[in-house]
Amino acid sequence: MKHRVKGLLTAAALLCGFLGGCSEHQVVTENRNVTEITLSWWGNDARTEYTLEAVQEFEALHPDIKVNCSYSEWSGYEARSRVQMVSDTEADVMQINFGWLSEYSQDGTGYYDLSQVEDTLDLSNFTEPMLDYGRKNGVLNAVPIAMNAETIFINKTIYDKYGLDVPETWDDYFAAAAVMQKDGVYPLSGVAKSVWLYTLTYAEQMTGTPFLRDDGSLNFNAHQLRIMLEFYDRMVENKVIPQVEYYDRLNIEKGIYAGGIAWVSDAKNYFGGAADKGYEIVIADYTAKSGMKHGAGWYAKPATMYAISKNTEHPHESAMLLDFLLNSPEMAKLQGVEKGIPLSTTARQTLEEEGMLQGLQYQASLKMEENTELGKMNAFVENSGLIDAFIEACDLVVYDKATPEEASQQLYRTIRKDYT
Amino acid sequence: MMTHSQRQKTGGSTVLCGTALFRYVRYDMAATENRPGLKRLKRVKYLMGISYVLIVVGAIVIVSMLALQKTDQVLKDKVNSLVASLNVQMKLNMDSYLSRMETIGTLAFAAQETYTYDATDPDNDEYEALQTEKAISDKLYSLCIMENFVDYGIVYRNNHAIGKISNGTINLFGDDMFTEFEGMITRQRTRDGWAAGYQDNFKRIYYVKRIHENALLVISFYTAELERVFDNPETMSEMEIRLTNQNHDILYSNLPDEVGEPLPEAVAEMIRDRNAATVMDDNYLVSVDSCGDDWYVVCSIPTKIILKEKNEMQYYIWMTAVLAAILAALFGIWLTLRLTSPVETIVSNLDSKAHIDQLTGILNKRSFEDYTTGRLSGALTIENHAMILLDVDNFKGVNDTLGHAYGDQVLSKIGSILRAEFSTEDYLGRIGGDEFCIFMNQVPEDRDGYEDFVRFKCESLCEAFRSNYTGEDGTYKVSASIGVAIFGKDGSDFATLYAAADQALYHSKEKGKDTYTFAGEEDAHEAQG
Repeated sequence: MKHRVKGLLTAAALLCGFLGGCSEHQVVTENRNVTEITLSWWGNDARTEYTLEAVQEFEALHPDIKVNCSYSEWSGYEARSRVQMVSDTEADVMQINFGWLSEYSQDGTGYYDLSQVEDTLDLSNFTEPMLDYGRKNGVLNAVPIAMNAETIFINKTIYDKYGLDVPETWDDYFAAAAVMQKDGVYPLSGVAKSVWLYTLTYAEQMTGTPFLRDDGSLNFNAHQLRIMLEFYDRMVENKVIPQVEYYDRLNIEKGIYAGGIAWVSDAKNYFGGAADKGYEIVIADYTAKSGMKHGAGWYAKPATMYAISKNTEHPHESAMLLDFLLNSPEMAKLQGVEKGIPLSTTARQTLEEEGMLQGLQYQASLKMEENTELGKMNAFVENSGLIDAFIEACDLVVYDKATPEEASQQLYRTIRKDYT
Repeated sequence: MMTHSQRQKTGGSTVLCGTALFRYVRYDMAATENRPGLKRLKRVKYLMGISYVLIVVGAIVIVSMLALQKTDQVLKDKVNSLVASLNVQMKLNMDSYLSRMETIGTLAFAAQETYTYDATDPDNDEYEALQTEKAISDKLYSLCIMENFVDYGIVYRNNHAIGKISNGTINLFGDDMFTEFEGMITRQRTRDGWAAGYQDNFKRIYYVKRIHENALLVISFYTAELERVFDNPETMSEMEIRLTNQNHDILYSNLPDEVGEPLPEAVAEMIRDRNAATVMDDNYLVSVDSCGDDWYVVCSIPTKIILKEKNEMQYYIWMTAVLAAILAALFGIWLTLRLTSPVETIVSNLDSKAHIDQLTGILNKRSFEDYTTGRLSGALTIENHAMILLDVDNFKGVNDTLGHAYGDQVLSKIGSILRAEFSTEDYLGRIGGDEFCIFMNQVPEDRDGYEDFVRFKCESLCEAFRSNYTGEDGTYKVSASIGVAIFGKDGSDFATLYAAADQALYHSKEKGKDTYTFAGEEDAHEAQG
């Protein structure tokens, strides 16, 4: 009997314990702690698509990091970047233009010092001269992705049709225009920035004076600027190029533009469609005055660069993403030569192994790399305000609102006042 | 002729019919099948146990089913409600996003040149027109600067575009840009509209608003931007979130490969003709809400995934129910045994008393007759059986001389002798005060010598009496007179065999007792005396 009572008491105690355990208690679910960083870039559809895909692969490799993306095409991106930089709302990892280093980080403090994350970001894939492009005041602010230069792309099919060789000199283009204009065909074309740089090269070759001195100060005077304005006016008047405001890239595919000035990195973007339609697109020599070496007055620069925000709260994670974008085989395969031939040795090696070093963009890159005359571009020449002022001055001349003398004086004053 | 037994027990008045003349056999009390009372009791016991198990298991199953059914319904309602809330939130996000885009688009009208300038006007001064377009462009760029717009510009009827009109859009629409964009205007009140999937290109979503007869404001953003609109909580990471047009073509999906494809038929069928509903069947849980004008936010998830926990819970509930049923059944069986065991013992004892002669430990008269009759009723004619009727000689003298207590000892001893002399297959019964009957079932290996075998048994039995009661101590001599009837030869039913054995016994008595006689052998030899 005693045993029975003991057993009953034990069972009752167990039951009470069990029921007690089932009574109200806190239910806690730990949420995943994710580090959020932001990435911004500009580019065409293809770049946006492969970058988004790369971000997904990065997130899959690092589930504790979420990357919020901010992107658009180039138009307007520069202005947005400016707003973000001055309002401290820039992305953690940014694709930046070479010129922005001078604009936002003259003393090297405008972007994060990448040497501080060298244990995460493998910089050994880059040569020191390449890294020097990203240094300001001795501080490594950015890493270049690839090199870039304005390049001449020629629709050889059209030129052949008119019995013309691929042009080499300035005069060759005027000669070509004389033949083609009866059909409304332009031997050359370009957006405002490309045309600005093209006329700049012309003026430097004609005057033997570089636009900027070695210290970066303005070397041109109103006279050299007048040569640029007159050259633009002459090109428009002789139908060598269309007026930049009326530039229509579809005209490349339509065969209305038989040539174009564009960045190496834009080769496929601009001329891929024409190539797809059966036109033979070739890389012409850098235009030169007769007897002058091709490449004189032309400049190369890093195509685009990656930088980390000086305000980032997650430098380690940002560096992880940056390393992935620059050096990983995954990104290299997705990116290919869209931005030019990668400077990262591991990325380039991946492309070699994958047989991806080919195509129009690759040929344009080779043309640039093989030319020893190309100078190192100063970021100042890419200033969009400067270019707008130049086109405005061009229009004054084209529409006879001012003489080249007046327009160049006005442009000179504007540059001196606003941009130096 | 009255039998010897009848004469002895009734004193000559014959009141017993043939079937009442029982002889008794040895009886195995452990065999329940031989004990109808106990058999019935066991049947009741099993019935009680099975009934208990069935009732308890049935109750547990019913309670479990009801609990599961209720839980299932509650869970489904909650899940439906949760997914409906999620879908509504997605729809609100989408509406808010589209509304914000429209608002930013409408801001373009803040600049007067936007709606007063007409690029198609042939009277425009070209230079002035360029300056105006530059001013408008600058304004448009400044308005869209912080958004991930792909396009934010104005397209004129002559396909001239200003502001931010991307190369991708120019390539996509080509020379039909104005006409195609104009066709995207669906809302006449605000003269605007949303569109996606132009020429099966679902990478961008366009918003078009008419500025004037010859100008359209065009805004677009990458469809991938909607990932932020449809950002899904990680706890619902398996939810398929889609934005579709009115034809249920997928404009956006968190499964990127299906963008541009029609909504899966199974999902589409569930929400056909519904604008705002949440539906669950065995395959899918689908929630739909309309947003904008003709677009729909559709969240869906396979039912087996969303109710995965329910299925697991169901499994555990059933496992618990089975465990409880097993425990209850075991407890029920234990309880039944505890309840019936004393009764069974009592009944068993009563049954034993009803069948067994308490003094000798062998069958009483009635039981012997029952079992012998039963055995004979199914016996084949080729079988070998014998009925041996035994009467103790001079037993009255034992009682008179040595007392009834000693007489009882003698009877008890006789029971032991019989059990020792015969096999357990044979029936042994005490059918009167000093009368015993044996129905032999045992068969010798040599079937042809069956009568010799019986004879041997009879001699051995007589000898056993002699050795026990003609002892050296000079106690009163007790012997046995035996009559034997053989099945088949002397009869094949109880009464006939008994009568034949009784007749033979009579002759044994006549011959001077302490001997055995086979029926029909009045001259049978006498045992050695």
